[in-house]
Amino acid sequence: MMAHRPSARGIVLLAVGIAILIALPQVVTSSFAIDIFIRILLFSFIGIAWNLMGGYAKQLSLGHAAYFGLGAYTSTILQIDFNISPWIGMIAGGVVAMLASLPIGWLCFRLRGPYFTIATIATAQALMLIFLKFRDLAWGAEGTTIPNLGSAPLMMQFETKAAYYYVVLGLLVVGLAVTYVIERSWMGYYLVAIGEDEDAAEAIGVNAPKIKRDIYLISSFLTALAGTFYTQYIYFIDPATAFSFNISIEAALVSIVGGIGTLWGPVIGTVLLETTSTLLQSWLGSSIGGVQLTVYSLILMAVILWRPTGLMGMISEAWHRHRKPAQA
Amino acid sequence: MWETVAQAVINGLLIGGIYALVSIGVTLIFGVVKIVNFAQGEFVMIGMYISFFLANQFGIDPLLSLFVSMPVLFVVGVLVQHFLIRRVLGPNDMPQIFLTFALSLLLLNLALMLFSANYRTVHTSYSDEALHVGGLYIPVAKLIAFVVAMALSAALWVFLHTTDLGKAMRAASQNRDVAMLMGINPNRVFCVALGIALALAGAAGSLLMPFYSAYPFVGQVFVLMAFVAVVLGTLGNVMGALIASLMMGVAESLGVQYVGADSGLIVVFAMLLLTLAFKPTGLGGGRAR
Repeated sequence: MMAHRPSARGIVLLAVGIAILIALPQVVTSSFAIDIFIRILLFSFIGIAWNLMGGYAKQLSLGHAAYFGLGAYTSTILQIDFNISPWIGMIAGGVVAMLASLPIGWLCFRLRGPYFTIATIATAQALMLIFLKFRDLAWGAEGTTIPNLGSAPLMMQFETKAAYYYVVLGLLVVGLAVTYVIERSWMGYYLVAIGEDEDAAEAIGVNAPKIKRDIYLISSFLTALAGTFYTQYIYFIDPATAFSFNISIEAALVSIVGGIGTLWGPVIGTVLLETTSTLLQSWLGSSIGGVQLTVYSLILMAVILWRPTGLMGMISEAWHRHRKPAQA
Repeated sequence: MWETVAQAVINGLLIGGIYALVSIGVTLIFGVVKIVNFAQGEFVMIGMYISFFLANQFGIDPLLSLFVSMPVLFVVGVLVQHFLIRRVLGPNDMPQIFLTFALSLLLLNLALMLFSANYRTVHTSYSDEALHVGGLYIPVAKLIAFVVAMALSAALWVFLHTTDLGKAMRAASQNRDVAMLMGINPNRVFCVALGIALALAGAAGSLLMPFYSAYPFVGQVFVLMAFVAVVLGTLGNVMGALIASLMMGVAESLGVQYVGADSGLIVVFAMLLLTLAFKPTGLGGGRAR
């Protein structure tokens, strides 16, 4: 399932895909469309970060907004108070998120299943409350705008949306590459074993606490990068946006709908959900509150009840049905 | 000095009674069906809207609408178990967590679409009444809510300990496989557990209505408290959930009094995190899972 080498056809497909993605903002120049592409790439990336831990090891976190927010706040504080480039701030944010994941993981991993999920929700909410309450730390509830420097690539500020598109495309490629490498390493096998049955994995000698800690470090680092990017893109930060529960929800949702614990699942899930959401908004005109998440939750329920393997499962079933008659 | 403390403790105990109704429901479902109902708070919200509309359209007192919200939500609970939860019972955590989580998202956002984010209140003759006992201030609406909540909890305890169905539910929560061997029909027991738990959430909603606003997100406040109380009171333990809920009400109220108006939730999170750090099996012992 995991060990086979990429086929020649796979490599060609990947090359064509990358070429299309690179050419896309040059062909489709409407800033509305590029904005949607950026959202799709960004949430694919967040989903990939979630999927490493939530998908492969089945540690179903609903608190990844904690790391998104820590990444966003670290780079913004460094930029505004110390004039340090968000490119450096992004990495610093990732490191802060990793450091935070150690005590958070130490607490949350004591629980399993649904209570692990609840503990992760609580930690993300607690972080949001801390940033709301302590005004000296970071602007309190009002948040702050990021000073607009015009065209300043070294400060991660660009004049065209296309440039932001390439930044987040780069993040996505990193996320996919990390997943690809982990999926094919011993760690990938350990993660899947823990996800299948943690007690059994430990019984055959998998050091589950260590593996879970390590994958949480990687997952929180990647999520923090997305936080920095998002803040730079919208030029604004406040606790309600940076630690929004919706970030945690969407990270899990795109992975489950697309195919939990698969390389491409989060990407496919995001394309479906974001496209649906965009179509809904254009049909309904001005958005009625709640429509988007109503539809998301219906899709999620449908997937869980009828297709727990997600869209990737449906695709691979269809592929095998298509292949079988040809071989016979 | 002592009066401020006593007042905060009373306020906490009174609201803790409502937390108890929600967390007893969560812990009952967890004990019997072995799933966590992420949507429990949304059923409190539905209970509140039922009482709001009955009061608004027909002038029915929210306390009387208890007799509507509880049966309605009992039926909803049976339907949720029979058509949704029954299909995901198995060794796999993911579908169970995300099915009830999706249900919570769905109900919350449907409420947002249908009723908007506006706050709805019901004003009753006793909404502003209060008893004054030795310098302490006891709002009547909250006192009634507390007393009814305790009475319902006691009724549930009697039901679980004296009736055949109640005993079957306790048996199923102690050891499902053995209970099935003894001829207990699990789906029937699960349906009743869901029904009772949701009826309690509906009761909490109706009892809240004379002194609390209904809005789509209202359930999230209560479900968070309930989750903490259920961990604190040992998962699946009804009495533990009751005591922990009252403690959390008091802790929240003291937090508001001594740390700051918006600190109640921080105190609650701190309690959860401390519990996880030092006593992850809950105050009563038992297993973490």
